[in-house]
Amino acid sequence: MDLVFAVAAAVSVVAGFGVVTQRNPVYSAISMLVCFLSFAVIYLKLGAPFLAALHVLVYTGAILVLFLFVIMLLNLKPEELGEEYSALTKGILAVLCAGLFLGLAIPLWQEASRLAPAAEPPAGFGGIEAVGKSLFVEYALPFELVSVLILVAIFGGVVLAKRKI
Amino acid sequence: MIGRYLVLSSLMFALGAYGVVARRNLLIILMSVELMLNGVNIALLSFARLHASSSGSAGHVFVLMVMGVAAAEVSVGLAILIAVFRVRKSVDTGDLRSLKG
Repeated sequence: MDLVFAVAAAVSVVAGFGVVTQRNPVYSAISMLVCFLSFAVIYLKLGAPFLAALHVLVYTGAILVLFLFVIMLLNLKPEELGEEYSALTKGILAVLCAGLFLGLAIPLWQEASRLAPAAEPPAGFGGIEAVGKSLFVEYALPFELVSVLILVAIFGGVVLAKRKI
Repeated sequence: MIGRYLVLSSLMFALGAYGVVARRNLLIILMSVELMLNGVNIALLSFARLHASSSGSAGHVFVLMVMGVAAAEVSVGLAILIAVFRVRKSVDTGDLRSLKG
């Protein structure tokens, strides 16, 4: 058993449970930080060092800070956090989501064991050079389209959050 | 070997789906969507590793696209959340029923 994978997977699962069960959004955000950092370790294990670095930059550096910023901006009091569904509803939904997990995991596991085991990747696989070449040569158009999407999201964020334009 | 990464990715996806349907706090729903997207990213990277070749890294580019979409989704989602909170003084999805017939 691969120790690094086992530790990173266990940490990410525990932190993921923390995200969806904590009542206070600040604790959820901190659990999400732990979860994202262990995901970065898993990305490294999957031979994607460039994406692991980008993941830490984008998710913990930008998205998580944005979440924490909004939590601080709203400054919710404990009574403003909203109600929760009853334990029975949550139990039924948990069973349904466990079914979703099994429905995804079993076919994926079978597919992965049917396919040939992963060969040793070529030198430089997942490095900044290989990904950059794919991104700017083969997938240049989707890359540009993502930049248009982000531009639209900037406008959307400003228009929605501003009181008066 | 690669199967356990796929099991982890489905577990994160299911956990995120539970957070989306079973919680009523909009902030936590948005965080759970992030968990789901990350679960998908792990699956994409696992298959990219499984089919690793020197001809290109389409899986890695796809993960980059998902990251871009996630960043756009969070910025718009949080802006909507702020606008909703300003009008309703609440982040509970149970209070958002003005479209209910």
